Amino acid sequence: MNESLLGIALVTVCSAIEGFAQVCLKKSVLTALRRSFWLRVAIAFFVVEAVLYTGALHLLDVGTAYSVGALSFVAVALFSQGLLKEQVDGRRWLGLGLILAGCALVASQG
Amino acid sequence: MRAQPLSSLLVAALLLAILLDTAAQLLWKWAVAGLPDAADPWLLLRAVVGQPLFLIVAALFLLQLFNWLKVLDHADLSFAQPITSLSYVTVTGLSMLLFDEPLGLLKMAGILCILVGVWIISQGQPLTLPGTPESPP
Repeated sequence: MNESLLGIALVTVCSAIEGFAQVCLKKSVLTALRRSFWLRVAIAFFVVEAVLYTGALHLLDVGTAYSVGALSFVAVALFSQGLLKEQVDGRRWLGLGLILAGCALVASQG
Repeated sequence: MRAQPLSSLLVAALLLAILLDTAAQLLWKWAVAGLPDAADPWLLLRAVVGQPLFLIVAALFLLQLFNWLKVLDHADLSFAQPITSLSYVTVTGLSMLLFDEPLGLLKMAGILCILVGVWIISQGQPLTLPGTPESPP
């Protein structure tokens, strides 16, 4: 695997972590119980994300890494649909599809 | 709900959000570029701890968090998010100027797609109604 592919893979993992951490943040707002538990989980995931993103910046241009990081929009939608039972309507999927396509275009240039 | 007209305070907070995002990304890249090319994670960790730029980046994120909460106090998320996604343009533009990063047609087209996608999502309704009481589990 070459450097830029590995970098893109790292940013993709970061986006997935970001999506999960955002859902934890939302959970901390929603639940009356165990509020600080979800907040701590979210912060822990953000720290892991920061470490991995530092690695990604070592391998990629910042313009590329930051733009591909828009994948976190897609991750947030998937996780909030799956874990929070939020509805994602057709319009939102269209927007997410465009973001996904945009990330692919940026990544393909490397 | 965005009940008030666009106040100069909100405009300033939105501009600050874009500025903080951009500065954090560029400084982060600058800090990483200064790290030694070592594979030893222990050496890298020590280099990160010894690099004050990482602390500045962390401080910028903290500042961004407070500023973002301020923005959300005065504006809808669906209004604020597409505006602050202009940071995709500023980060890429400035990284071209400061770090000589290449900007090709594919990258420009990709960023345009991302901006349009964020804009389309922002046009929809937030499906979870604000003020809905949540029952504890």
